[in-house]
Amino acid sequence: MIPGKYRSVSGRAANNVNCGLHLVIQTSTLPEKNKTEFRFSRDTSPFPGRLLQHDLERNYSSRQGIARDGRVISPSPRNKSSFISSTTNVTELYGLDMKTTTSSFSAFGDCSIQTPFKSRLRQGCHSAGPNVSGDHINLVSSSLPSFPILQRSSEEKSLYSDRLTLERQKLTVCPIIDGEEHLRLLNFQHNFITRIQNISNLQSLIFLDLYDNQIEEISGLSTLRSLRVLLLGKNRIKKISNLENLKNLDVLDLHGNQITKIENVNHLCDLRVLNLARNFLSHVDNLHGLDSLTELNLRHNQITFVRDVDNLPCLQRLFLSFNNISSFDSVSCLADSTSLSDITFDGNPLAQESWYKHTVLQNMTQLRQLDMKRVTEEERRVASVVAKKEEEKKRESQKQSLLKEKKRLTINNVARNWDLQQRVSNNAINADRKDCASPPRDSCQLDGSTTSSLPAETGSLDSGLTSALQGLSVTDTHLVEIEGDTLSLYGSGALECLDRNWSLQTAGMVTTISFTFIEFDEIVQVFPKLKIKFPNSLHLKFKETNLVMLQQFNALAQLRRVDQLTVDPQGNPVVNFTLWKYYVLFRLSHFSMQKINGTEVTQNDMIMAERLFGILAHVASSELPQYRMISILGDARRKQFRYLLETKGKKPGIASEENNDSKRVMGENTNRATLNYTTKEWHNEKLEEIKEKKKFCQMYVEDLVKEATDINMKNEALQKLWPQMFIELVRDAVIEIRNKNTYMKVCLQQITDQK
Amino acid sequence: MLSPERLALPDYEYLAQRHVLTYMEDAVCQLLENREDISQYGIARFFTEYFNSVCQGTHILFREFSFIQATPHNRASFLRAFWRCFRTVGKNGDLLTMREYHCLLQLLCPDFPLELTQKAARIVLMDDAMDCLMSFSDFLFAFQIQFYYSEFLDNVAVIYQDLLSGKNPNTVIVPTSSSGQHYQRPALGEAGMLEGVEASLFYQCLENLCDRHKYSCPPPALVKEILSNVQKLTFYGFLVALSKHHGINQALGALPDKGDLMHDPAMDEELDRLLAQVPGLVNATSEASCLPSRTSSRVGSPWRPLHHSRKVDTESDGSTEETDESET
Repeated sequence: MIPGKYRSVSGRAANNVNCGLHLVIQTSTLPEKNKTEFRFSRDTSPFPGRLLQHDLERNYSSRQGIARDGRVISPSPRNKSSFISSTTNVTELYGLDMKTTTSSFSAFGDCSIQTPFKSRLRQGCHSAGPNVSGDHINLVSSSLPSFPILQRSSEEKSLYSDRLTLERQKLTVCPIIDGEEHLRLLNFQHNFITRIQNISNLQSLIFLDLYDNQIEEISGLSTLRSLRVLLLGKNRIKKISNLENLKNLDVLDLHGNQITKIENVNHLCDLRVLNLARNFLSHVDNLHGLDSLTELNLRHNQITFVRDVDNLPCLQRLFLSFNNISSFDSVSCLADSTSLSDITFDGNPLAQESWYKHTVLQNMTQLRQLDMKRVTEEERRVASVVAKKEEEKKRESQKQSLLKEKKRLTINNVARNWDLQQRVSNNAINADRKDCASPPRDSCQLDGSTTSSLPAETGSLDSGLTSALQGLSVTDTHLVEIEGDTLSLYGSGALECLDRNWSLQTAGMVTTISFTFIEFDEIVQVFPKLKIKFPNSLHLKFKETNLVMLQQFNALAQLRRVDQLTVDPQGNPVVNFTLWKYYVLFRLSHFSMQKINGTEVTQNDMIMAERLFGILAHVASSELPQYRMISILGDARRKQFRYLLETKGKKPGIASEENNDSKRVMGENTNRATLNYTTKEWHNEKLEEIKEKKKFCQMYVEDLVKEATDINMKNEALQKLWPQMFIELVRDAVIEIRNKNTYMKVCLQQITDQK
Repeated sequence: MLSPERLALPDYEYLAQRHVLTYMEDAVCQLLENREDISQYGIARFFTEYFNSVCQGTHILFREFSFIQATPHNRASFLRAFWRCFRTVGKNGDLLTMREYHCLLQLLCPDFPLELTQKAARIVLMDDAMDCLMSFSDFLFAFQIQFYYSEFLDNVAVIYQDLLSGKNPNTVIVPTSSSGQHYQRPALGEAGMLEGVEASLFYQCLENLCDRHKYSCPPPALVKEILSNVQKLTFYGFLVALSKHHGINQALGALPDKGDLMHDPAMDEELDRLLAQVPGLVNATSEASCLPSRTSSRVGSPWRPLHHSRKVDTESDGSTEETDESET
């Protein structure tokens, strides 16, 4: 409320009607003594600020004793001295100062107004307006039976030449007012007039008050071109119409009618005040052209949304209290108005919301008053902070939803690729089975074919996307997501994320890692990285990872710690085995797992696992030849194992007590460590490698064996020949020395020859 | 070692035939692969250990399939290892699917082919019931026949097919191992019919095959015994009879008799020791004694009686009609 504004309005109006009015209406139908006297007291200006009230309903309620704020209109001692009835009447008159200053009047008549407070009124009249005793208005029945003709005495005319008040006259029709062409102010308050008639000759009329009548239609005003104030409050008007010629209208009061729609006002470019309170409006629209409108009262309607307000360049005050507005969106046009400085929303569902004030203040920064309260800087600041937060939140949520959508699409995409890949590999396996000439499974070839088919797939997907999602690279064949303590990986490409530099905090936070649509063999290869990058991961989830064999679980043993394992039956046939859980428990017993697929591991489970597979571990550890043991155990375990061997060898039984615990732990490890998993690819590679070695060994051994058998054969042949040879040799020697003398001679000869 | 046969062959062939070469090659190969580790504790030690493990049959643990099937001794060792390691699974009374048995096999031999397991399962199960559950003993004995006599059975299948179609089986060229993969179970109609082939004729062919066959085959006398009891029989009837025959099991020597299948006191003792070490059991020693009774609800009944009840089970469990009918 800016009183100043009102004052300027009122001041202008006051100039127009700045004189008292005293008239006597005589009607022929009434008996002689049925004189109604209207008194106008000029001196009273008893309601200084009160009538600045822009708002009539407030007055209603105050009359009913419902105090709404500090400015309730109740007759003050001073007011009492003036006329209560007129007070109320005047206050009905919407925001017009001139009423208060110039025309507080009281009506009294011997018979016509038999109100309970008549005497009081009279008293008041007398006390307040001693100078009005001579005023007379005579209503004289005209020649036409239905319309009374109004005549004033010339002296009254001269006194109040430009104003006429016919208040509470029980008029059912407008009287014919003759010879009053200069009349500028006409008041028909509190009558029973159903139709506006007989005033078309009053062309200089500026102020027309028809408050509290029974008018059903706006009519008969087309000639009143200079009319500036038209008060039609508390009537039965259903439709705004026939205002075409009232181009100078300044104030239009239509409160308390039955209007459902704002219409036919667009030409009122000088209209400054429009009151449509207490009507049946369901929405606000069609306001363009009201270029001078500074105040618009729309209280107590059923308005759900407001439009077009931004087309009102001068609008300063807008009253939307007690309507049905529930969201700021439905009045969002208000935010675009640059002139609006005062607004009320109280009594709307909107005002109950926690965000109400912030939102309104943030969206309407030009606002000076909200719900009659001054908007402080502090509030504005808070609002802007809150709004900023809200906006951030909104942006965040938008981002979130966008991300979610992206995630969904990506997962779909990954799933499609996965299915494709599975189908291809299945086909390949089937083909393999039929065609026994080809080697069992050519995984390399498979990979090649699937990757080559990917671009085409994603390409077609891209084109089908909506524009909003075009920014998203849905061509991704993988997805990495961290949500809380869960790291989710979709698609084999996602495994690359483990190469990234994760912040220590993030990495430390992740305790659950879920794999979806990734070949288990590929996952196995990143376990060492996983161990380093996410040391706290305790819960592993596998879904659609092609877990088919028990031995694949061996691979998990290399992780640092696993508390929980969840293997989704979808895409992991191994879960259908009755033994899988026990095998996991057995193989990963050093983790002392707590949950498998969501069910708590009991001690019975542990015992069962041991019972089923304990012997396997025992056989694997105790019966495996040492050279195999070393080759099977990884480098890391080798030392342990060697240490174990050494301690065993060096101090049999002595250190057993001390080392018992550590030995058992390590023994536990080594005894299962021999059960490990090599991926198919790696295995094939190894076989390939072995093949070469084997070939070499084969040749080498063959050569060796051949040589050996050769030697053996020669040796055997020698063995066979040797006895005969010996005999022959002996025989030769015996024959040689049979003649002793000749032999001696030969020997001597040989010796001498040598010399 | 110095059997008279030794003299009948040149040394090299003799060694080859006795698979000594295979082991020598493998030993060198292993040496080559782990030379750094092995050189630390002595090459002589390595060879000692290697051949010791060959004798004990532990050399096949976790080895590649090509090595495991390379010699009859390896096959027998593998069968024995499988039995020893997973006897407890059978003892527990769980009936498992073919795929699950395959997984168990793969625990011992990572690249064990699915085909072989499927063939073994086919001996136990009807064609259209391949997803059915089998008892451990049913599977084990069928698997023994299939695995140990793999090549022989491939040939038998071809002969059987020829006999069925009325061809003279004598003209059959000994099929190569790869062609053996072709053999499919005879069409359902044929298998379902009682007739099959003439047992005596079938035996003649098999005897012939055994003579020529370079791979191991079941003792002809036992085959004769099986075939002499019936007039006619089907291929799978023959396989089932083979797998159920005690004599053949004994001749093979890898597995104990069916009645003793769950019996391995040394290992049971070991298992009890292991159970006592199960982490989480604080008073391991005191609890160990009462454990079996505590877990008995899951297991069914204490060890000994269970053994007997299992025996009864194995007669009926997982067996198909075929099994009953060919029980001789």
